[in-house]
Amino acid sequence: MSLNQLSALEVAARVRAGELSAREALETSLAQIHAVDGQQGSLEQKPLDPSEEHKVHAFIRLTEDLARQQAYEVDRKISAGEDPGMLAGVPVSIKDIFTLQGIETTAASRILYNFKPPYTATPVQKMIDAGALILGKANLDEFTFGSSSESSAFKPSPNNPWDPSRVPGGSSGGSTASVAAEEVALSLGTDTGGSIRQPAAFCGVVGLKPTYGRVSRYGLMAFSSSLDCPGPIARNVSDAALMLQVIAGNDPKDSTSSVVPTSNYLEALKDGVKGLRVGLSPDYTHLFYPDFETGELAMESIQKEISQAVQHAASVLADLGAEIVENVPLPNAKYGIPTYFVVSRVEAASNLHRFDGVKYGYRTPVEVEDLQDLIRRTRAEGFGSEAKLRILMGMYLSSEGFAANYYQRALKVRAIIRRDFERAFYPHGGHRLDVILTPTTATTSFKRNDVFGNTVRMQYSDQMTVSANHAGLPAVSVPGGLDADNLPIGIQFIGPDFREDLILRAGYAYEQATLDEAWRSVRPAVLRQEVAK
Amino acid sequence: MSISKISPELFHKLVGLAALELTAAEGAYLLTEMNHQLSSVNALLQVPLEDDIQPTLHGIECQGAGPRVDAWQPFPTPSEILAGAPETEDGMFAVPDVKGAK
Amino acid sequence: MKDYEVVIGLETHIQLNTQTKIFCSCKADSWEAEPNTNICPVCSGMPGVLPVLNREAVHKGALLAAAMHAEINPVSHFDRKNYFYPDLPKGYQITQFDEPIGKGGYLDLHMPDGVIRRVRIHKLHLEEDAGKTKLDHGLRLVDFNRCGVPLVEMVTEPDLRSAEEAAQYLTQLRQLLRWIGVSEADMERGHLRCDANVSIRERGSQVLNTKTEIKNVNSIDAVRQAIIEESKRQIELVESGGKVVSYTLDWDADTGKLSMMRSKETEADYRYFREPDLLPVILTEEEIAHVKAELPELPLERKARFEADYGLSAYDAEILTSERGLSDYFEEAVKSLGGEAKAVSNWMMNDLSRLMNDLGKTASELALTPNSLAQIIRMVEDGKINAATGKSLLRKVEESGREPAQIVEAEGLAVIADSGALREQIQAVLDSATAEVESFRAGKESLLGWFVGQVMRATGGKADPKRTREILLELLSQK
Repeated sequence: MSLNQLSALEVAARVRAGELSAREALETSLAQIHAVDGQQGSLEQKPLDPSEEHKVHAFIRLTEDLARQQAYEVDRKISAGEDPGMLAGVPVSIKDIFTLQGIETTAASRILYNFKPPYTATPVQKMIDAGALILGKANLDEFTFGSSSESSAFKPSPNNPWDPSRVPGGSSGGSTASVAAEEVALSLGTDTGGSIRQPAAFCGVVGLKPTYGRVSRYGLMAFSSSLDCPGPIARNVSDAALMLQVIAGNDPKDSTSSVVPTSNYLEALKDGVKGLRVGLSPDYTHLFYPDFETGELAMESIQKEISQAVQHAASVLADLGAEIVENVPLPNAKYGIPTYFVVSRVEAASNLHRFDGVKYGYRTPVEVEDLQDLIRRTRAEGFGSEAKLRILMGMYLSSEGFAANYYQRALKVRAIIRRDFERAFYPHGGHRLDVILTPTTATTSFKRNDVFGNTVRMQYSDQMTVSANHAGLPAVSVPGGLDADNLPIGIQFIGPDFREDLILRAGYAYEQATLDEAWRSVRPAVLRQEVAK
Repeated sequence: MSISKISPELFHKLVGLAALELTAAEGAYLLTEMNHQLSSVNALLQVPLEDDIQPTLHGIECQGAGPRVDAWQPFPTPSEILAGAPETEDGMFAVPDVKGAK
Repeated sequence: MKDYEVVIGLETHIQLNTQTKIFCSCKADSWEAEPNTNICPVCSGMPGVLPVLNREAVHKGALLAAAMHAEINPVSHFDRKNYFYPDLPKGYQITQFDEPIGKGGYLDLHMPDGVIRRVRIHKLHLEEDAGKTKLDHGLRLVDFNRCGVPLVEMVTEPDLRSAEEAAQYLTQLRQLLRWIGVSEADMERGHLRCDANVSIRERGSQVLNTKTEIKNVNSIDAVRQAIIEESKRQIELVESGGKVVSYTLDWDADTGKLSMMRSKETEADYRYFREPDLLPVILTEEEIAHVKAELPELPLERKARFEADYGLSAYDAEILTSERGLSDYFEEAVKSLGGEAKAVSNWMMNDLSRLMNDLGKTASELALTPNSLAQIIRMVEDGKINAATGKSLLRKVEESGREPAQIVEAEGLAVIADSGALREQIQAVLDSATAEVESFRAGKESLLGWFVGQVMRATGGKADPKRTREILLELLSQK
């Protein structure tokens, strides 16, 4: 096994034991990046060289100098007998929505193309303090608006390492692609409606959305403040647990950050699933897609192989001693996307008000008559279509005359979505579940440009994931197989408030019990190419 | 059942409120997508809601650390903040004047 | 011409005197600072940062609500008010829209003519201040030093009926804010800002007519003047058949003129919604009880008590409750003096007040303690020193910091108590002024005052004037 295939746990262990230098870990990661990633995303719209078509393009910017300094520091600590941290020498990527002091943080948007934050995001700082090496800022949908990473202003947008003609998912597409392509061992992403879990499913990696407030949002450029969750992306469950351990915890700089104590997530993995009550819901077997004329929600089947993967996972867990509880009603799941359209857009429109060309970032170079002109032109030129769309929708749904019907109502529907879960998890209720098992997505990855432009279809990629965001619950997507085209399938575990330990346990047990399944020995196309070279 | 749609007039007003400027093509595309999205949002209007359902802002009951102590902690590098501005003058952020201001 | 009355509502923004801003740990007071030096990523609206509430801002807001007889809401919420303006870096202001910290409340105005006007409070809430801008050669320059300072916004019902009442409201409000220690309330420094809503109607009518809003009134006088001008304008307009249009007006203090700023017809849609980055503001029952208990006796209550308990005149009571430090000083001095309020009041309102003015000090800044004042007064009343000495002692104690009795001892300021010694001094004076003695005995009785003066000079001012006169008369009448 080559070094860049090692898990984060393994790299950290070897570095801490002095068996591997951080510098060597860094070089390995850089070599892999140079081999598979191709050019980084940029604002220039020059045509892509054909050789670049099969590259991953996970990054907007590489931060090699920074990583070298960090590697040096880790190695110095090792030789000085100081503790280098739990992630010592582990190469990581950071979704370019998190601020990193002194280094351009763009949100994949022209409007922040040159923004150098004067401070570093809390979860990023925690990873740095734990000895991680930051290889670069991963590409994403502009301001995290999207489920394919195609809306990035920095082209080319990332490709799926399993099939570079397809999308890695989004908005944390660069993050999941960089992990799947073995460029880094871990990535820090964000999940607002499914933006960690859906791309994790598409890219065949583990993606965890923690409970809302479990990880500080300080330094996360906000999309939807009541839904955004930073979280770990890794190639296996233990690595995700390790990274969660590092980034979780209260932050006085984030008022919504929780004071509920963290637990030992790695320890919890060993507890197994004997007696664990795992729920399956008939409300997670279909999409409920609207008719554009009438608004009627029509049921659409999800990809057959995905349903099968979920069933298979259930039987694996049953064999391990878990109790599978069928027919758990979660009837308001079908309102997840409608509610999301309202709540997230209202918050996004407001959060994007600050981008006006006055204080930082892009300002229109055109001669303007007055300030209003400056602001309008700056925003028109600086924002992409998806950002403009979300702003306009948000304005509409919160404006006088409409707010009561839409925004206030959506917040109430959010309450009943939450209530469904509370009933399912209630220890003295009918189902008394520990975790709920569902598909992560309705389909596997789609081709580039197939869905982009149809914003409703694009948003519905998140139907299975979004309800956990509305309810604030922790949820994890783990690889659950491959479809006939060798595209990854993700299965999702959802747990009660602050019970990341339960969903990690379930994911880990399933992972370990299926290590020998045939699909696990298939590698992403981008890595097979490399071997073939 | 017919669903509410955004008219071009209202759309134009929203564009102004949002401090945006759109080409005709962009405007047409966005308005179409907005109305498509409204067809999904429309489902919310049909959901039966009991009277005692409260709007929920965060999903979970947030248990935060509470308000902070009133103690001065200066930011170490305010000059870094100013340095990122597109235009400054005399240590202040500089912009053209507001139209119709005094 | 019909008989009109003017209907006024006032909207005030009060800057709280906390150490730090409401949502970040930058300083709340940066009056002296260079532009954009008292800023951080939070108050300058950078992406990715989050507001963290200052608990002292909540405390002071609750205290103010209690002082205004408002109900303190145990649970209140922050909301976003969205609009674009260069002094608003986030593009929204964090304020309290529908569930603010205070509900109801009032302030009773005691007008000089004896009328008590109850001004009801419509809304009392916490919010953050915006930055400052200035125009410079066609460019608008922005400074965020002040952005994020905690404000309480208080809006009255349209209960005021004259410009004088509006001025009185602001005067009493300013006094109250300083009294309970929540704001310096200095209008020149923007600690207390006011907008006035003015309309007119026929006297006796209950209708509320279209109002205009006057902004940029930066002193109590300006408020008074501007309201007088505007009500005059509206009356003239209506009398000549016109209609009042809802406008925002700007007051120019230099010219004493109002100018139209913008029409209020086009109200912005602020799209208020709950601030998702903040949790609800919770005040427990104990905390609310604590705040109420913390509330000191308020100025009007104390004024009434001074009149009742100490028998002070309304005028004196008002002066002695105009400022909390002065008022506390007075009571302490009275206590030390065993309850003789009138004497303390006299001394404080005359000689001590003169001294304070000379030195530019408030009562709480004096080195001369209430106890020392009481001692001085006691010594004068006991005849140990005379009044002139007493007055000079005020400054001597203030400058030296020593006890009055010490100074009297050290400088030998005591009145000459021994009649014999005094008699000798007086005799000496008479002996050296034989011509004047002759004149006096011949009938020029006005010379008595001169003799007293001479004795004072000879004794260094330590002779007791009354006793001196007695002895002089006695000696002079001897042949």
